[in-house]
Amino acid sequence: MELTELKSAWQNVNSSVKSETELQKMTKIANHPSLKKIRTKLIAELIGLTLFSLVYYDWFDGDQKSLYVNLLLVISLMLYILNDVIGYISIVKPIAANNLKISIQNYLARIKRLSIFSLIISFLYGFSLIAFFTSAIDFTSEKQLVLVGIIFFLLSMIYFSFRLWTKWIKSLSKQIKEFSIDNEK
Amino acid sequence: MEKEFLETIHENQNIIYKVCRMYRDSKEDQEDLFQEIVYQLWKSYPSFRGESKVSSWIYRIALNVSIAVYRKEKPIIDNYEDFPENIHPLEESPESENEERLFSALRILNNAEKALISLYLEDFNYKEIAEITGLSESNVGVKLNRIKSKLKILINK
Repeated sequence: MELTELKSAWQNVNSSVKSETELQKMTKIANHPSLKKIRTKLIAELIGLTLFSLVYYDWFDGDQKSLYVNLLLVISLMLYILNDVIGYISIVKPIAANNLKISIQNYLARIKRLSIFSLIISFLYGFSLIAFFTSAIDFTSEKQLVLVGIIFFLLSMIYFSFRLWTKWIKSLSKQIKEFSIDNEK
Repeated sequence: MEKEFLETIHENQNIIYKVCRMYRDSKEDQEDLFQEIVYQLWKSYPSFRGESKVSSWIYRIALNVSIAVYRKEKPIIDNYEDFPENIHPLEESPESENEERLFSALRILNNAEKALISLYLEDFNYKEIAEITGLSESNVGVKLNRIKSKLKILINK
């Protein structure tokens, strides 16, 4: 096949035609393949965390804990919710600058920022939960073991999250490199 | 505005279809990407002021989404010399056979190469390709020459 044939094949590709009604459905988040799931997760987390922030003081003896751990828990909860919302808005936001190269660079910068905040806030939130629930407790060896287990679980979650972010960042960095003329032999 | 947008996309959906077919292997992934692109086009439509061609705008967003959206990496054949010879499935018409050969070869290229060659095949000139991709015109020329040679080898193997 020659280049003219390739061009002709490309320009005459037969596509299955979608109606305007089908296209219109695609403009809604409710029909979006991934955003729909992210939004549902966000709403569930927001409801759960808001409920927890309303009842934790009474249900988990907030009055018997120090003011610092109470404050730490509330602040980290608020930061976690804020980070969730900002993350969602960032993902929904169009990824379009004037050209592909800048768009991908901007997107990479956005994802890097999100990953840093997300990891720090997740760590802070986990730490504040542990600090709250272990505050004013007499530690026995069993309780210490449980605490070690919880800390290990928390660190594992953060590590898996870190790996996911890193993969995404690496993938975007690779795309930027591919657009560079210098990386070719 | 929505009606105008839908008419525009309806008329130009072939572009989105081709980009999806080039960047994704399975029908399901292509369909998901198609939806993702239409959604992003709708979100960025208010900022499209008609300063560039509609096709340039659609290509820019479609390529952007295809490249930036994260998905699990599949094995990549880095050395195209090792590309299997039997990439040409049995098809009923010569047009669809050519089409299939073209897409099978395009999928072997890296993402930036796919973006550049698709714009070239669509008949955009170097200046337009440079504007869409953010490369200089001379870089577009150099890169395209390499991609064309690579594509020729893949197609005619």
